Amino acid sequence: MNYDQLAELSRVLYFPTTLMLYLGGAFVYLYALTMGVGRQDQRERGVVLRRIGGVMAVAGVATHVAHEIARGIAQQRLPLGNMFEVTSLMALVGVLAGLFVLQFVRRRAELNGFVLLAGSLVLGMAMLMYADPGPLMPILDTWWRPFHVSLLVSAMGIFGTAFAFNGLYLLRDTAERSVTQAFDNAGSGGPGAAHTNDVKDLPERGSAADEEREQLQQYHAALRAGINPWKLSIGVFLGTSLVSWVWITAQDTLAAGFGRFFTVNLTLVVAALIARWFVPFLPSTSALDGLAHRLTAFAFVLWTVGVIAGAMWAEVSWGRFWGWDPKETGSFLTWIAYAGYLHARATHGLKGRNAAWIGVWAFVVLMGTYLIANYVVVGLHSYANL
Amino acid sequence: MTESLPPPQMNPPLPQRTRNTAHGFLIDSIQMGWRWLARMRTALYMLAASAVLNVVGTFVPQEPNVASTVARWRNGDAGPGVGVSRALDFFGAYDIYGSALFIALLLAIYLSLTACLVPRIRAYLRLVRHSVPPLIDKPSRVNSTVTFVTDTTQVDVIQTAKTVLGRHWRTRTADSTRAPQLAAERGLISREGGSLLFHVSFYVLLAAIIVGQLTSFEGQRGVVEGEAGFTDAAVSYWNYSPGRWFGEDQHDGWQLTLNQFDVDWVRNPTAPGAGQATVFRSHVTINPAAGEPYDAVIDSNKPLAIDGRRITQLDWGYALQVRVEIDGEVVHDGFIQPMLGDAGVYRGAVKAPSVNPDLGLDVFFYPYAPDDAAGRPVPTGAPWDEAPMLLFRQWRGDLQLGATQQTVNDLDTSQLTSEGGAYLRLGQQVQVGDAVITFVDLRRWVGYQVSSRPAIPALLAGALLLVSGLTIALYAYRRRVWVLTQLGPSANTTLVTLTGRAFHRPDAFIDEFADVAQQFAAACQARDLVWDSESNTPAAGT
Repeated sequence: MNYDQLAELSRVLYFPTTLMLYLGGAFVYLYALTMGVGRQDQRERGVVLRRIGGVMAVAGVATHVAHEIARGIAQQRLPLGNMFEVTSLMALVGVLAGLFVLQFVRRRAELNGFVLLAGSLVLGMAMLMYADPGPLMPILDTWWRPFHVSLLVSAMGIFGTAFAFNGLYLLRDTAERSVTQAFDNAGSGGPGAAHTNDVKDLPERGSAADEEREQLQQYHAALRAGINPWKLSIGVFLGTSLVSWVWITAQDTLAAGFGRFFTVNLTLVVAALIARWFVPFLPSTSALDGLAHRLTAFAFVLWTVGVIAGAMWAEVSWGRFWGWDPKETGSFLTWIAYAGYLHARATHGLKGRNAAWIGVWAFVVLMGTYLIANYVVVGLHSYANL
Repeated sequence: MTESLPPPQMNPPLPQRTRNTAHGFLIDSIQMGWRWLARMRTALYMLAASAVLNVVGTFVPQEPNVASTVARWRNGDAGPGVGVSRALDFFGAYDIYGSALFIALLLAIYLSLTACLVPRIRAYLRLVRHSVPPLIDKPSRVNSTVTFVTDTTQVDVIQTAKTVLGRHWRTRTADSTRAPQLAAERGLISREGGSLLFHVSFYVLLAAIIVGQLTSFEGQRGVVEGEAGFTDAAVSYWNYSPGRWFGEDQHDGWQLTLNQFDVDWVRNPTAPGAGQATVFRSHVTINPAAGEPYDAVIDSNKPLAIDGRRITQLDWGYALQVRVEIDGEVVHDGFIQPMLGDAGVYRGAVKAPSVNPDLGLDVFFYPYAPDDAAGRPVPTGAPWDEAPMLLFRQWRGDLQLGATQQTVNDLDTSQLTSEGGAYLRLGQQVQVGDAVITFVDLRRWVGYQVSSRPAIPALLAGALLLVSGLTIALYAYRRRVWVLTQLGPSANTTLVTLTGRAFHRPDAFIDEFADVAQQFAAACQARDLVWDSESNTPAAGT
């Protein structure tokens, strides 16, 4: 195969193949999640669906890896040289790490859908920065690059997955609080089921079954109603805008820029609304918080080592190990933000919602500095247009 | 012997105590201030404040990095305007990392860190020396618990438990007033120790950076191919920034000459990455102070090391030798180093103040401007010097050298009048007015940085401490298990309860507890195993 064929192959493997597999897997998993409760036969269907979702996820990861390999061969170098490649790899690592942790470490495979959904979003974002395969600037052509960049990109991917769980935690917590508050105000007893996961076996038939199912549906509705969709949408839109305004400046025309801006924002709003719909099927808040924390802790170590490696490379390549270049500043800022999250989570009075919010903000800082340092502020790290 | 406590609160309540004397008030204030500094919440506020400064540092151009942009912000050519610029200057925002605000914050962070660490280290040392896990009477409800019956004696069960747990657990057995029991704890030294190591590494880093600043040296110098190079001496650098402890006598006096600079690009305009550079390589000759001269190569990621000095390529460009003669007299003959501007055009200037009136050339250099069919040059933005063309406009009058601010590549044309212009190929000459301009030679120049940073190993050691401390602190976790024994339901049997809990990472502990319990039960040849609900579902997470 010649270069063009390989390049074309890698492109097709990426889009539509990988994106469709991730998205498909996400929706199959999420649909299966709604079957975790209810009648026995429904639960069995859920297991089958989960298996299908698993096959799609594995196939998606496989095509994604194949894309990276094809692209790497096409340009005769590791695909870690520009923003598309970095963002694509960020999605791959985020999905791989998320699936691995959920499947084998935490054994919560039912949540895989959220990881795949988050991965699809990052994958889609990478497409906004698509660049054809090409050679590398000589300054980048050294073994330092894969070392430094892959560490940071892996950290970014895992931070992204942690962000998804932080968001889910906040959604679930908000919903639970509002339900508890509603029942407290009504002065009646509890909602009957603190967690839907506790309600495993519903009677198969009969009026008792109908009544219980109705109760459960009411509880689900109450949980969902606990999150104001308008507030959520506007919040996500504004929160995303903190980062996505970069697209406005990065495009040639204002119209194209605003097009991207709204595409990114509205996609995330839709994702948040989907997540809201699945709030009743989420596990306990402490499980979500724990997932976010462990993923963040791991990524934080990677990030730290990656930044140190970057400083070592800078000493070799630019003759100074730290010069407050915009990207160095950004990586340091991100480090501080996640250090704040880890400290907050170990502090009484801050753990829980406050810590999770710091985690969410830290991801905003991460994505903001990633895009801004590449597109807006010109520094030594500006390789965006390669 | 001190019983180890559960993890302390990170934000202990501030004790309120007052002394009624002025002296007491002072002591109280200092004590309260110190305790406030030691609180985690304070540290978080300070981290947030430093994050804010970082945001400023990201958006506001920083003078040490991009001095020209800052200059344009200051005089209102770019950025938010002169007024805002003055305010930014007032807060030192153009050099945020050298500003008093940043230094003060850094000091406050280190003070807070110290206030936090002193009691923690003392408590840690106490813990390491004396701590033992407490004994319990019955398992707590939050524990994971398993009970079983075995045919061995209570004392043997305790002995087996010790063997199964191994030497990594700090154990303690009950005295004779209680039923035989084993309390074990693990992870307390490593977790807190890792966290302390991580925090202490910041002092190492700070010390290494300060000593590094004092002992380091950095100098920059541009060299034209084939011309005389430079000698490692304080006077030969264009930019020279030595640390306070770096003496000028520490220069070694070697000489560097640039023989050739290789640079190439992806020239096919349709190939991927068209126009990108593919190689930056200097072929230099080093003439050491003692010994024979030798040739060396400096690559973009392979700086040259000479006696602890590091030579890095920072920059490169074209060097144009332009000769200006008036009435047969050479008034200018030397290399100019035009700067790369927009669209691949290099801009520079020739200044000849020795003639009267002054002569100035505004130079545009196109490295690749091939002739079209009619024989006229067509400027392109391509950077390779296959068809170089020098385009200039000639000015006469007052160059205002020393009167106005201008760089070597800028002409101040306010007091100059144009005499027209022309273009030159390499080697050609042309007469404009009474001046004969010759494009004599085209070479390349490279900007080198010579640096010496003796504190780098200390910095690396600090980074290593930081990473290892961080990893341990985030992955080690503190947990306790107890083996409680009582006489069994029938003669010669023992009822054993294994129970435990983790203070961190409960998810990891559930799996570990299940492993330990299984091993222990197998070693005791257990019967009638009963798991409590929580440890029964080790897969459920937390």
